[in-house]
Amino acid sequence: MTGMKGILSNRIRTLRFLNGEMSQAELGQRVGVTRQTIAAIEAGKYSPSLEAAFRIAHVFDVPLAEVFQWET
Amino acid sequence: MPYREKTAWLYLIAMAATFGPYFMIVAANPPREALPNLRQLSLYAVTAGVQMLILGVGHLYLRRVSPQEAHTPPDERDLAITRHAISSAYYVMIAGMILVGGIMPFTARGWSLVNAAIAMIAIAQIVQHGIVVLSYRRQQG
Repeated sequence: MTGMKGILSNRIRTLRFLNGEMSQAELGQRVGVTRQTIAAIEAGKYSPSLEAAFRIAHVFDVPLAEVFQWET
Repeated sequence: MPYREKTAWLYLIAMAATFGPYFMIVAANPPREALPNLRQLSLYAVTAGVQMLILGVGHLYLRRVSPQEAHTPPDERDLAITRHAISSAYYVMIAGMILVGGIMPFTARGWSLVNAAIAMIAIAQIVQHGIVVLSYRRQQG
């Protein structure tokens, strides 16, 4: 199996803005991770687990694909 | 700075402040190989005691300045960083134990062996906490 090169991007910053400028700390609290972990995910420095990704989408009430995109 | 990065810094500082001087003293004034060597044993005891003291006071201070973070359980990123750090330190420790337990006994004895074992444990600890710090630095948002 050959590795597929790509970048995992996200729209968390935009979605936080659209949800009343939700803070990273509040999102982290609702997802069950620290503020620093949300900051790392948002900056693309850490790829969350599938469960955390679904939880983030659930908080914003949008499908997972609206939060995370895989760009090749 | 995440709470767990602060505690990793604390371990690194405690290690540098105690085992740094310990190995400098040992290198400058090698102990007699005979066991037991009470002077060398007491030097090690003082080093370990001071390290525990620094860690105890440091943890109390960190808990006092950020009580909420101190009681927050580790999240998935914290656990992933911890796993990575421990597995890396494990390989360092295994390599060290092979060196100290399997190779060094042919050429060294007494306190040389004991200090080499202490050094390997210290290096493994530095690798573990160093990787924790580096991982948090790299993933900083």
